[in-house]
Amino acid sequence: MEEKDWEVSSSSDNEAGFPNDDDEEFHSGGSVPKLQFRVGSSKARWIAELGLAEVEVKRGKLWTTTGIIRSGKTYCFIEEALYLSEIGELQILGNEDEIVIPLKDLYEKMAEEKSGCSWDNYEVYRYLKGLGYILGRNGISWTLKDAAITRPNGEEESACAGECLEDKGTVTKLLGDMQICDAKAVFDVYLPNSRFKKSSPGEPSFVACFSGDSPPSKEDIKVLQKRIAAPLMFCHVAQGRASFFSFSSIDLPVLP
Amino acid sequence: MAPRWKWKGAEAKALAEPVSKTVSELQSSLAQIEVSGFLSSCNVLLSVEPEQAEVLDRCCFGRPVVSAEKDKRWIQLSFEEAFFLFYKLKCIKISLRGRSLENEVALWRSMRSFKTNFAISYKAYSHLRSKNWIVRSGLQYGVDFVVYRHHPSLVHSEYAVLVQFICGNDRLKVWSDIHCSVRLTGSVAKTLLVLYINGNVNTENMNLPLCLEDYTVEEQTIRRWSPELGREDETRT
Repeated sequence: MEEKDWEVSSSSDNEAGFPNDDDEEFHSGGSVPKLQFRVGSSKARWIAELGLAEVEVKRGKLWTTTGIIRSGKTYCFIEEALYLSEIGELQILGNEDEIVIPLKDLYEKMAEEKSGCSWDNYEVYRYLKGLGYILGRNGISWTLKDAAITRPNGEEESACAGECLEDKGTVTKLLGDMQICDAKAVFDVYLPNSRFKKSSPGEPSFVACFSGDSPPSKEDIKVLQKRIAAPLMFCHVAQGRASFFSFSSIDLPVLP
Repeated sequence: MAPRWKWKGAEAKALAEPVSKTVSELQSSLAQIEVSGFLSSCNVLLSVEPEQAEVLDRCCFGRPVVSAEKDKRWIQLSFEEAFFLFYKLKCIKISLRGRSLENEVALWRSMRSFKTNFAISYKAYSHLRSKNWIVRSGLQYGVDFVVYRHHPSLVHSEYAVLVQFICGNDRLKVWSDIHCSVRLTGSVAKTLLVLYINGNVNTENMNLPLCLEDYTVEEQTIRRWSPELGREDETRT
């Protein structure tokens, strides 16, 4: 007797011809970029009170997509400073002198997680930067006219927003938002773009969020999505690999 | 992801015979002759005429049981499928231990006694079927259901469905669960769809199929993004 089992044919889904593990090729072969390490490249001075480095010498076009501008001066976050140091583009100087802070000390600073960026945030930063993406801290403008850098007095360090918020009201609002949610929006991510302008960056392609040890709850996703217009991408970092997941509310169409 | 039709002309055939129409045909076909099934601890066994078996197959309800009988066909229905045909489409009768269950409450309670999560599972099943998607077991992909836009002979399933009761937190608890489900469904070209069933966990309430009206369903897809493939250099356009 003929048994028409169309279930069997659907298991040929497995041969869909979709790439099985697209990431493997990239990670095993080319994870270490071949770069020339330049000495005498850009220089920035680390300012502990701000948790930022003030750029003193700029070399190269990379500054069009790195660092924030306040009153004509450029500052970079710990992740930007560390990344540029790693690839030999930047030397970080200490307090008053010309002594370059070694990479080891920068890693320690990052590990302390007191400058608004945690280690897994940094893994994602480094990974996406290496692929050419443009990253800025969520909630911080690339450039603000006539604004001096100040750390708001008496405010606790805001782990996600960074310390250099000019508007005390903004900090209070952001801290208030953060309290209801375990997940954090950390980076605004833009697609690689050689015509990127800090004065008009446009909307980010997505906002990189971190929910820590566990996947984000449905409620946390809602809280963040209400606050952020751009698509959200949740990052999971494990064993030096970063994975990105989007959780989207949909309405499955009613079929005819 | 766009629907993947299995052969040239499949999409046209699907458009010509919408699922809703086939389901209506099923309803009238089964109602003509009183079709009866009997409940066991894990399924409902239905006895039908060959023509009815054919319509059931076209709407993808049940699995045929191979038998030597020429004039009757035996179809094995899952609880969800059987309850849907009984309660929603009202086109079959079901008996338990020789007695016909007229009352949906009795059937509901029996099924719940055999399968713990039946209420939630059924809510998800009927939610999808009500949107005219074809719903089948997703066990071979590690999920609860897979849904097809039309008959599986015409199209590949697009979504792999996991059902999560809002009060329970038993699926996708840790990151490796997410990786596992997303990568597995991705490797067979499906999108992971999570159905969150919201409702009152009051046990008394759940004793009646009416509790279904109090449940709402939220749909969420989980997709993995690959930064290497996601780049577009705008300046090259």
